[in-house]
Amino acid sequence: MAVEVKLPRLGQGMEAGTIVRWLKSEGEAVSKGEPLYELDTDKVTQEVEAEADGVLLKIVLPEGEADVGTTVAILGSEGEDVSELIAGAQGGNGGAPAAAADEAASEPAKSRAEEPRSGSEPQGSLAAPARRPGERVKASPLARRIARERGIDLAALTGTGPDGRIIAEDVEQGVAAPAPAAAPAAVPAGEVEIVELTSVRKTIARRLTEAWQAPVFQLTVTANAVELVATRERMVELLREGEVKPTVNDVLTRVVASALVRHRPVNATFVDGKLQRYPGANVGIAVAAPSGLIVPVIRDADRKSVQRIAADRADLVSRARDGKLQLADLEGGTFTISNLGMYGIEQFIAVLNPPQVAILAVGSIEDRPHAIDGKLEIAPTLTLTLTCDHRAIDGSEGAEFLRTVKQFVESPALAL
Amino acid sequence: MPELTYREAVRDALARALREDDGVFLMGEDIAEMGGSMAVTQGLLEEFGPQRIRNTPISEMAIVGSGIGAALQGMRPVVEIMYEDFLTLSMEQLVNQAAKHRTMSGGQLKVPLTVRTQGGAGWSPGAQHAQQLEAWFVHVPGLKVVFASTPEDVRGLLWSSIYDDNPVVFFEHRTLYPIKGEVPEELEPIPLGKARVHREGTDVTVVATGRLVHESLAAAEQAEADGISVEVVDPRTLLPLDEETIVESVKKTTRCVTAHEAVTRGGFGAELAAVIQHGAFDYLDAPIERVGSKFAPLPFAPVMEQHVVPHAADVLEAIKKTVARA
Repeated sequence: MAVEVKLPRLGQGMEAGTIVRWLKSEGEAVSKGEPLYELDTDKVTQEVEAEADGVLLKIVLPEGEADVGTTVAILGSEGEDVSELIAGAQGGNGGAPAAAADEAASEPAKSRAEEPRSGSEPQGSLAAPARRPGERVKASPLARRIARERGIDLAALTGTGPDGRIIAEDVEQGVAAPAPAAAPAAVPAGEVEIVELTSVRKTIARRLTEAWQAPVFQLTVTANAVELVATRERMVELLREGEVKPTVNDVLTRVVASALVRHRPVNATFVDGKLQRYPGANVGIAVAAPSGLIVPVIRDADRKSVQRIAADRADLVSRARDGKLQLADLEGGTFTISNLGMYGIEQFIAVLNPPQVAILAVGSIEDRPHAIDGKLEIAPTLTLTLTCDHRAIDGSEGAEFLRTVKQFVESPALAL
Repeated sequence: MPELTYREAVRDALARALREDDGVFLMGEDIAEMGGSMAVTQGLLEEFGPQRIRNTPISEMAIVGSGIGAALQGMRPVVEIMYEDFLTLSMEQLVNQAAKHRTMSGGQLKVPLTVRTQGGAGWSPGAQHAQQLEAWFVHVPGLKVVFASTPEDVRGLLWSSIYDDNPVVFFEHRTLYPIKGEVPEELEPIPLGKARVHREGTDVTVVATGRLVHESLAAAEQAEADGISVEVVDPRTLLPLDEETIVESVKKTTRCVTAHEAVTRGGFGAELAAVIQHGAFDYLDAPIERVGSKFAPLPFAPVMEQHVVPHAADVLEAIKKTVARA
């Protein structure tokens, strides 16, 4: 039976290698242990031996770089039809489209092998994951567990085990791979602060890296905040003893919540590959806690008074700063607001908070030139930037939501 | 510590039990004057006399059957079946009688019988005198099954088997009789159901029984030279099985090879593989490899025999498969 010759991992940390030249030609018989090709790694160049007896039926990768586990040749018995294997190797290695694979499968292997090699062979893309779309991912139970625990997508990995199986080391390598450590700059000892990542920091890193993969787009509006500020001031005036003083952000949370329940495509999360759109708004508010960014959730914000939201917010923020939040305080959010206005940031782009599909970045409220009724006036304005996950939301849906938010900011009474 | 051969260790356990307890006696074919076909019982007739070291007719059914009768009457008989191939002739007594009385009588009866036997290839005994049939008995509730691989283990386990109140089928391996090993001055009973970790390692666990324990230890040495760290575990008692030790070992190493001389198909390695895949599923990084004899009646010709039964090289190959890259 024909076997695929795969690029081996010759040492810890080896991710890829470059085939310098083949020591056997197609059609030549090889025995197990005989040098087959020369492989250049970042450390050494060495001869790689055949792992089985047979005839070298096909050299898939004549020369060039490929990832560990990539099929570089097919070994089998003379005259054996390996067209499917070749198609699989080429298609699976990420190159040939399905049509080409079909074509290859329908041709006898021999004639194909005898064809002069055209320049269109997918050498450059051989490094892609060795799997066809929709093909089952082969992974050991241990590899699956590690991937599950660390939230790693197995489909993105290349397996170096038998038959391309992903084994534990591939997952470990796969995690380590995206962060090729740049050589540390030469700094005198004692001046560099080494910060071990806390588990919170690691979670932030993992979730935000994950979020960064999403195809997102941003929409920005600038709103006149006169009414918003006035409303908040009036509320503070009417404050009863013992009540928490509402902030502009509390009022904003309330009006955004109202906008969310009117625009459910934005008030949604991904669950098991499906979208769940919610009738009520649980609004997460990004808080800078000592341990790092954390997003406690104000539940049913669309049905709470601003006063109640302020009370909830004060409780959550103080507990966040004391590190006393419960898991329940952080779960169930349907949307997130991130406000950096208090730092004077005029506008910014927030990164998605998965599985939510949108997040609102709120800038500072400041007196700025603003056109009102055709005249240039000075008015307090704020800039709102909505980040949308395009897998869930189209531009028009995001725009409609943001238009409503702007209306509510400019006339908070409309949010009732 | 004194050094004994495996054969002497078996004899020592028998002699000590005979001295300790009048209820212990031996029965078997040619075990008295001749000292047994494997010379295990040599000298016992002289010390303990013909009442307690008894020759029997050539009838395995009668040997085990009368052993059961004596055990039911409160004795602790140790009967010898010359070759484990001949256990087939005593199956009715072992499977339908010895294994069942205790539960069928609601615990009113017990059968403290030990059935010693030996087998194994490596000396051209042919197809009918060297099989490894231990897996058959692991399938029978009511029996205990022991397979010892070292002088120390065989002595301590035989003692525990004699003093166990259940019928125990006790396997010895023909080619292990001459091996030597240190044993404690005082006989220390080894509890049934406790595995032994012969060698610690981090990359792959080899669970081996009988002769293959030694082959596996040799393979582990060779693997070490290739940078593969191998743990070797001998269950020693196949029934009851020390699942915890085995599963924990595989959880640590994430890979496993089972090895015995019995044919692979339906062998004890299959049971081990089932226990391990269930207990350590999320820890396995490679399929469990099984090493055993090829599925063929054992050939007489030495070169053919060597071809059929497994050796250290087969274990080493399986070890490498479990840690293989593409």
